[in-house]
Amino acid sequence: MSLMLMLGISLTVAAGVLLALSRDLFRLIVGLAVLGSATNLIVFMAARPGSLIPPLVEAGTQQLSTAAANPLPQALVLTAIVIGFALLCFALVLGAWLAGNSAGDADQLRDAEPAATDAVKPPVLEP
Amino acid sequence: MSHGSHTETHGPTYLWLAAVPLTLFLLLAWGLARYDLPWRGEVSWIPSLGVSLAFRIDGLSAQMLALITGIGTWIFVYASGYLAHEPRRGQLFAILILFMLAMIGAVTADNLVVLFLFWELTSITSFLLVGFNHEQASARAAARQALLITMGGGLALLGGLVLLGQMAGSWTLSGIVAAGPALVDDPRLPYALPLVLLGAFTKSAQFPFHFWLPNAMSAPTPVSAYLHSATMVKLGIYLMARLDPAFNDLLFWEVMLIGTGTVTAVWAAVLALRERDLKRILARSTVSALGTLTLLIGLPSPGAGLAVVAFLFAHALYKAPLFMVAGNIDHATGTRNIDHLMGLRRAMPLTAAAAVLAGLSMAGLPLSFGFVAKDAISIAKSEAEVLLLVSYATVFVNAIAVAVAGVAAIRVFWGPPESPRGQVHEVSWRMFVPPLAIVLLGIEFDFFPALADPLLLAAARTISPELGAVDLSAAYDLNVLLSATGMTAVVGLLFFLTWDRLHHALHRLHWLDRFGPAALYESLLNALTRIAAWQTRLLQHGRLSGYMRLTFLALLAMGAYIWLHTDSRVVLQWNWSTHAWAWIVACLLIVTGAGAALLLRDRLGVLMASGLVGYGSAVLFLFAGAPDLAFTQFAVETVLVVVAASVLPRYGRAVSRREPWRWVNGVLAVAAGAGTFLLLAHLQGLPVNTELADGFGRMSLPEAHGHNVVNVIIVDFRALDTLGEIVVVAFSLLAALPLLGGIRKGRTS
Repeated sequence: MSLMLMLGISLTVAAGVLLALSRDLFRLIVGLAVLGSATNLIVFMAARPGSLIPPLVEAGTQQLSTAAANPLPQALVLTAIVIGFALLCFALVLGAWLAGNSAGDADQLRDAEPAATDAVKPPVLEP
Repeated sequence: MSHGSHTETHGPTYLWLAAVPLTLFLLLAWGLARYDLPWRGEVSWIPSLGVSLAFRIDGLSAQMLALITGIGTWIFVYASGYLAHEPRRGQLFAILILFMLAMIGAVTADNLVVLFLFWELTSITSFLLVGFNHEQASARAAARQALLITMGGGLALLGGLVLLGQMAGSWTLSGIVAAGPALVDDPRLPYALPLVLLGAFTKSAQFPFHFWLPNAMSAPTPVSAYLHSATMVKLGIYLMARLDPAFNDLLFWEVMLIGTGTVTAVWAAVLALRERDLKRILARSTVSALGTLTLLIGLPSPGAGLAVVAFLFAHALYKAPLFMVAGNIDHATGTRNIDHLMGLRRAMPLTAAAAVLAGLSMAGLPLSFGFVAKDAISIAKSEAEVLLLVSYATVFVNAIAVAVAGVAAIRVFWGPPESPRGQVHEVSWRMFVPPLAIVLLGIEFDFFPALADPLLLAAARTISPELGAVDLSAAYDLNVLLSATGMTAVVGLLFFLTWDRLHHALHRLHWLDRFGPAALYESLLNALTRIAAWQTRLLQHGRLSGYMRLTFLALLAMGAYIWLHTDSRVVLQWNWSTHAWAWIVACLLIVTGAGAALLLRDRLGVLMASGLVGYGSAVLFLFAGAPDLAFTQFAVETVLVVVAASVLPRYGRAVSRREPWRWVNGVLAVAAGAGTFLLLAHLQGLPVNTELADGFGRMSLPEAHGHNVVNVIIVDFRALDTLGEIVVVAFSLLAALPLLGGIRKGRTS
């Protein structure tokens, strides 16, 4: 793997974290998507791909050629892409539903917290 | 309790339940008559942990069993009368039965784990019984206090028992006692003993944990008489007595027991003077008696065992009836305040008789079993040459006991009748027969010592094995005894006559309560809720970005920790492959997409830019021998953008306010990027392990009949993982559907 890719993935992770730390609910979810993609790349690159040949057993042979790409990270990442997709779809819908009450402000989500009138927990002060 | 309101509740009285303890009692008596002690039984339970259901009944256990089942029988009779108007009496009886079985288990268990389990079960049933009138806030608070203190002690006890078990190499009480002398030099003993004593002291309400017992008086009276005077609170005494042969020679053991016992006995006696509630007065004097018992166990003399056993027996035989008397008075008059109780003897002659007889025993006057116990105590003390201070303390404690006996037996029953509040009348036979029966039993034991002596001597020998053959009830040293009894009687009479004056004098010192252990308990409990509230406010503030910040911070901290503790090499190289141009394009797409998503304000723009990251990854996969990945990524990215665009209008306008914590966010992002770079650079230096990949490549066609190795891995070799993945996708769809419905309807607020 080249230094260029290492730099590229690191920059993407940094951007993803910054997006995920946003107060805007939509940017937060997009940040998760970017981080997901970057993580997939890290896993994929961990096997140091170099071959262009897909991991297919060629007709007439009984086993995978040693020149073919490593199939293991591909299987891992394929699973990760699908699961990440499902979770992001859910996050987008959930975000849209929550945004109805909070105008998309991630700092105004109170649904899971104790009620502001709870005696033990005084209302949260705005920063 | 339904004081005054005599609404008959129909249904069973549960009187027949008294047959359960009675049967057990008769079984015990039959067994004692036929078979020699000790009896053992063992059933393997968890052999891998050395836990077996080991039970062992020796003299001490048999004595406790006799109290539990014998007094239990009368308690059940009493409760059926006392609770005749209580609609939830079925529940109470169920817990009482459970308690009795737990108690039987606790005093017969030989295995440490089994002992602990039953010990804690008695705490739980006690909690349920103290909080039985759960509509009252005071009852709930008392139940919680009893639970927290006895369970906290139970936790310490568990630690102590585990240590003792490890030290002795045996998980049985008998094994520990047998190994006793060898344990004295073990370095773990200074930790084990205080922990065990903490458990015993909390259970038996020793100072400074004495305050939970009087508060536990919010339980119905049958419970107070049974758990909180005759049986459960004696469990700590029982355990100390059981371990005494092993540790009696230790100075620490002696000092702790004698010291704590004396302080408890004296302080509880003083506090008894401060109470006006008859039941609480009795509870204080129970604590005082428990202190005396602890003190007696600590005495190194051979007669101490006898004194413990005799006093334990005598106390149960007079205190349980006195509690029942207090309950009868409460039932008949609706109050337990001694200021409002006078001259009840005409209205309640049989209760009065029981009170007087129990009072005689409590005061240790001749003709009662209490007299025998006092005698045994004097012998034990004269043998042990205790400190003069302890001697004076016992005289004081006994004198207060005389005064309490006077209050409970004389003050409330004699004198002119209080102006009648309603029609005070004698209670039902189920309530006056039990106390009378128990005190008469005590007197009978005094006249016919052969009935009780063998059992008591067997029990005493468990505690003091060196005890010779003594005739318990005839061992009076009359001179010592009469002078001691005479002195306590005189001082006690003085206390009795000046009870009200002493009460008022002590009441003026009530400001001292603020520094007592009860106040400490309160402030600890309050601090707990305050800390919980503070911590909840700190951590659960409802700001999602705050949660994210904390999560990333934790991830980074963990990564940094691993990085610093790993022998890491960073390898940097320009490794140009043949498809370098495609990788450059992919990389540019990814970085441009991520950067644009960050910089753009418009949400649609952000969405499109993030799509570029996915497309860039797809290009990279395509030129790295992974066409399957590439196509999946293309498809997913496209669908995702479509889904996002369809719900985008629901997000409203972008938040225009400034991001809080911008600098912290920036530092976190830079740290995350740098961490990723280090991780990738470190990966470069590691060898590639292709063992799995080679295996899959070799077996794909012959075993799974598939040419596409990636597909074969997913649907065949790792099919179960894929099933899990499908479930995740299905669940996210199921979870999203109702939300979509809600969005479509539109939020009303």
